[in-house]
Amino acid sequence: MKFLPYVFKNVLRNKVRSTFTVLSIAVSLFLVTLLYGYLEFQDELAAASVQYNRLVVTHRQGITSLIPVSHVDKVRAIEGVKAAAGMSWFGGKYKEERMTFAQFATDPNAIFNVYDEYLVPPDQLSKWQHDRTGCVVGKRLARNKGWKIGDKIVLKGDVYAVDLELTVDGIYDGAETADLDMLWFQWAYLDEALKAKRSAIAGMIGIVSVKASSAEVLPELARRIDVRLVGSDAPARAMTEQAFQQMFTEMIGNVQAFIRNTALAVVFSLVCVAGNAMAMSLRERTREVAVLKAIGFQRPMILGLVLGEAIAIALIGGLLGSFGAKALFATIDMSQIPVPGLNMFYIPWITAVHSLLLAGAIGLMSGIFPAWRAAHLSVVDGLRRVV
Amino acid sequence: MNRERESSALVQIRDLTKDYYRDRIRVPVLAPTDLDIADGEFVAIMGPSGSGKSTLLNLIAGLDRPTSGTVMVAGTDLCQLSESALTRWRSEHLGFVFQLYNLMPVLTAFENVELPLLLTGLSRRQRREHVETALGIVGLANRMDHYPRQLSGGQEQRVAIARALVNDPLLLIADEPTGNLDAAAAVEILDLLEQLNEDFTKTIVMVTHDPRAARKANRLLHLDKGTFAEGEVDLLELDGPASRDRSLELEGP
Repeated sequence: MKFLPYVFKNVLRNKVRSTFTVLSIAVSLFLVTLLYGYLEFQDELAAASVQYNRLVVTHRQGITSLIPVSHVDKVRAIEGVKAAAGMSWFGGKYKEERMTFAQFATDPNAIFNVYDEYLVPPDQLSKWQHDRTGCVVGKRLARNKGWKIGDKIVLKGDVYAVDLELTVDGIYDGAETADLDMLWFQWAYLDEALKAKRSAIAGMIGIVSVKASSAEVLPELARRIDVRLVGSDAPARAMTEQAFQQMFTEMIGNVQAFIRNTALAVVFSLVCVAGNAMAMSLRERTREVAVLKAIGFQRPMILGLVLGEAIAIALIGGLLGSFGAKALFATIDMSQIPVPGLNMFYIPWITAVHSLLLAGAIGLMSGIFPAWRAAHLSVVDGLRRVV
Repeated sequence: MNRERESSALVQIRDLTKDYYRDRIRVPVLAPTDLDIADGEFVAIMGPSGSGKSTLLNLIAGLDRPTSGTVMVAGTDLCQLSESALTRWRSEHLGFVFQLYNLMPVLTAFENVELPLLLTGLSRRQRREHVETALGIVGLANRMDHYPRQLSGGQEQRVAIARALVNDPLLLIADEPTGNLDAAAAVEILDLLEQLNEDFTKTIVMVTHDPRAARKANRLLHLDKGTFAEGEVDLLELDGPASRDRSLELEGP
């Protein structure tokens, strides 16, 4: 501890060089934190969904194939099911906005039983249940769009070739981590419009969301659903909500490998940049190192002083980069970012902590060679050196 | 040389040689050398460049290893110590004064002087007391918070002397302590070294090219081509033309 002031004074010795080294580490670790944060954010979302005891039923061929709405009743009838609701991603355009937001056609009598972590006032829910063209929107979405109860919304179909005019009947709320950026409207209204256009996909839904009676029954319930629906015209399979969300992450599997390889390349570059800065710094004070050794500083002490300096520089950069990213994404309202799937994005704490540890490791790796050279410097040669 | 002092000598050197190798060619720097330095002596070593003065000083200070022979300081055979033990021994028993001061530019005068004490088990308060005493001896008690760049050359060298003194060493090693100073500052530093020797009975071994510096010593040794000159040394004879000019300069108008 008594050597810390000396270490920090050496960090500040060449302010320009230290500042550029810190900045290069900070910016690079900001990006690494962001990239890894996205992967870990997906994992956290998937892990968080475990507590809700939900299954998702999709067509065996995947979510791009639709299943008949009759599957919902078949699933409801299976023992262990507490509630089930069919859902279809509508993906309509609102006004002139280029990016869509989450819009689902669903069953107003069942959806809040399946997603019981969301809260909607009973009078608003009742109104929606009796209003064929009504919808319920998330609190954050309503705030961002400036919607209030009674407002009319027109969604221009993109996936489905129908336009829908909806009335905001209710606004749902939930925990801070809940997705409050969705819009739910009646599937019956969508189906009616599709039938009017004689669409081949009338009567079809994307998925069935199932609430199980308990966590214990989930594996058996998934098996029962699979058995019940396997022989139908549209064979379906059940998976946990966690697995369903991980499926999306796995869909970007190559991106994951790309992110990891990019991060590795960044770390390697940082070690070289910081190591070079450290080596330059020590070359300039060869004589000082020799004096320290002459007056009694042992090799491990010299090693520790140099490594401490390298690690301190890297940690300052790491703090700025990792916790800067964490703080930035905690203050940005991500629901305003028009990228689907990022509306709830945040940097998990674990990512920020890992990035900081990575910074420490970068400092250690960048300092080890200059530190070793300093520790093994000959006092006589060092004192003779004119830098 | 000085065999009669052997029993009370602080430094005993026997058959000491040192060779360097340049491109695998052996270059002898010190011929077999004997030397005793008594406790409390102030010894100056003079000689032309390449005569082996600094090599001898480095060997006495345990900064370098001899090719053969022994260096005993206060009963410790430095040649038998491991690298780690030798480093510890230096921190406990030696003080260094260099020609270029070699202070840490990022540390204040106080922190520079405190540096050797960080290797001891002294408390913060004890370290402060030691540093204040050392800086008081060299007359810089009022410059404790100054950085080296805020001090004159003479003041920097005095801080370096305080750093050398702070752990109360057995032996002060001074390598051309006035070599980088103007005449007035050089006189101040030499007076200070003389005072340390007389008032605090510090044993000092000093390498110098400066006859004025050499005159402050109790004993003057002349080294040439790795061997000591026999008998008493006449300072004026030792002075080359350049040294004479320097000597005049030191004495002033």
